[in-house]
Amino acid sequence: MAKKRGLNASVMTVIMLGIGLPLSFSLSVTLNLVICSLALIYLIYCRVSLKTTLLVLLAALPLAFGSWWSFLIFGTGDQWHSAWIYGSRVYAYLLLGMTVTMNCRVKDLLLSLHLHLKLPATFAYGLLAAFNLLARIRQQYHQIQASAMMRGQVYHLWQPGLYLRIIIIALNWSGDLAAAMTSQGFTEGAKRTISFVDPLPRWQWLLTAGLIISYCWAAFVIQPW
Amino acid sequence: MIKLAAQQLSFRYQPTKSLIFDHLDFQVEPGTFSLLTGPSGCGKSTLFKLLAGLYPQYGGQIETGQVVLDGQNVAEILPNQRAKKVAMLFQNPSRQFAMRTVSEQLTFALENIQLPLVKIPQQIEKVLAVFNLDSFKQRKLQTLSGGEQQRVALATVLALDSQIILLDEPFANVDLTGRKQLLHDLKQLQLNYQKTILVADHDLSGYQGIADHLYHLDSKTPQITSRPLTELQQSATSWPVSLHKLNSGDLSWQQLTLVTAKRQLLTGSNFTLPRGQLGLLSGENGVGKSTLLAALSQLHPYQGQISYQQKAAQKFNQQHWNQLVGLVFQNSSDQFVRLSAQDEIKLSQKNSLQPKYWTIKRIIQCLQQLDLAGILDQVCYQLSGGQQKKLQLLSMLIMAQPVLLLDEPFAGLDPQSLKQALQLIRETATQLQLSSLIVSHQRAGVTEKLDYELELAHQQLTLLQGGLNNG
Repeated sequence: MAKKRGLNASVMTVIMLGIGLPLSFSLSVTLNLVICSLALIYLIYCRVSLKTTLLVLLAALPLAFGSWWSFLIFGTGDQWHSAWIYGSRVYAYLLLGMTVTMNCRVKDLLLSLHLHLKLPATFAYGLLAAFNLLARIRQQYHQIQASAMMRGQVYHLWQPGLYLRIIIIALNWSGDLAAAMTSQGFTEGAKRTISFVDPLPRWQWLLTAGLIISYCWAAFVIQPW
Repeated sequence: MIKLAAQQLSFRYQPTKSLIFDHLDFQVEPGTFSLLTGPSGCGKSTLFKLLAGLYPQYGGQIETGQVVLDGQNVAEILPNQRAKKVAMLFQNPSRQFAMRTVSEQLTFALENIQLPLVKIPQQIEKVLAVFNLDSFKQRKLQTLSGGEQQRVALATVLALDSQIILLDEPFANVDLTGRKQLLHDLKQLQLNYQKTILVADHDLSGYQGIADHLYHLDSKTPQITSRPLTELQQSATSWPVSLHKLNSGDLSWQQLTLVTAKRQLLTGSNFTLPRGQLGLLSGENGVGKSTLLAALSQLHPYQGQISYQQKAAQKFNQQHWNQLVGLVFQNSSDQFVRLSAQDEIKLSQKNSLQPKYWTIKRIIQCLQQLDLAGILDQVCYQLSGGQQKKLQLLSMLIMAQPVLLLDEPFAGLDPQSLKQALQLIRETATQLQLSSLIVSHQRAGVTEKLDYELELAHQQLTLLQGGLNNG
């Protein structure tokens, strides 16, 4: 099934941050669960890959369980309540993040932030270039191991030397890339033509404000269990 | 037409380092196709980055003089204005794209120079058509070959409508077919679009009838001199390898078959690499030479049997196998394990399989022979392309695996460096009885030092009978 266009990427980022921040101070299991369910419904509405969603949720299970368990054992006061707050909070954060990351490509997100939230072009395109290099860095990792072995040196995953080399290579690449981008006319702080189309109707901002305000009101005024 | 010239230019990378150029004067003739040659590390890349206005923004400092573009100091022009006048193509084709696809990349460049929105799609269609790249529009850049990537980079430059195009060793990671195609494209840009083209290259082949000027940058007195075009003439000989009597050897393969995701490269091949001799692995580009070397190094899957002293490769772990078979990668920077050139050599010396042969004295002698003695304190990745090649080669020779596979070890080396590098491989292989197999598209000055040639064509590997020579 084709993906459905969700809310604008900038709007989703603001919602994620606007609810994510007060979420750290809220002490309500009910609200955490409401956020989880709303996020899940939104993901299903947008027809994201069900398999990936389940895998991510499953991968977070040890983290959620760890939080839950440690507050149950070492917590003070109402341990059961604390345990469920912190256990469900892991999922609330995760699902909030997924509404952004699983719905838009990195390029769309960065350019949307550039367009609507004044993220500097240097930052947006620099990050974009870095993301486009990631696949090659993965390739490079195997190459590094092979070349080291041929010189009588074995690199294991846990050795800092391996990462040091990856960083050096990445730095080197980024230097070349920056020079190339300059040569192609990219100028810091200068005006550019913008061909990226990213509609953001006003009702989406109203929805954002509504969601954040009602969350804060529910979390800090009503304060459900 | 736009003029570009270096006037009394002096430049150095760091205040404590010596000058790379001292009062250099050089003018690029507008509307011409010029070729600049010079030994590895003489400063060709540095000069190009200065001409393109990338230095001193990306390093170093100008001590005297300036580079003048159209009457203005090039470094002071804003990049989005400069790009319409001068643009550069880089040595590493894949590291010049910020975006993911061909169309995104072209859009990015055109947005930079503030081309009106409605004109962007037209301009993209137009330049892609010039290079017959129409079908590439939505292709991912990282999946293209080196030659294709350089053509996309060239299309970007044409889209920006830069008058002067600087190409710094643009063919270092491009195969022969790609090279011919690109040279043809460049000439068309000069003739049909009145572009000024300046290329830095070590390999003079293919420029006859294309280049209008030949310049040489000397490393001793960094001044640029004009050379007669007759130096571009190539002799017609095809540089065959005369076959010597082959020794027995340790590494052999039986019924070897290689397949990649796209196609079959080799079917049922049998051979034993002779000990103490040097072989050339030749064949058209893309037939699978690099893949064969990777398979022999156990870095690429294969069918059939590869064995060392009759023991199947599968019975060795990767670490042990790499002590028997060494591979000199096509891209030098893939080989480096340490940060500085000195540490790179020291690591090899420490882990060398032939420590008695590779004494300090011998290593110093080799460093001098390859003209590397002066750069030992530098960071590997900051050396010039040619110096990286030589450092990489020496560090692998010091390791001295009994089987040494070399993938384009001479690419980008000037004639003198090539001679020294080949001489060193020859000496080491003979004295330590190493079995060596070399992939090299450069045959001039190489083939006479080799003992046999294996040609890979039509999925078959054939030992060429180039006149049996028992000498």
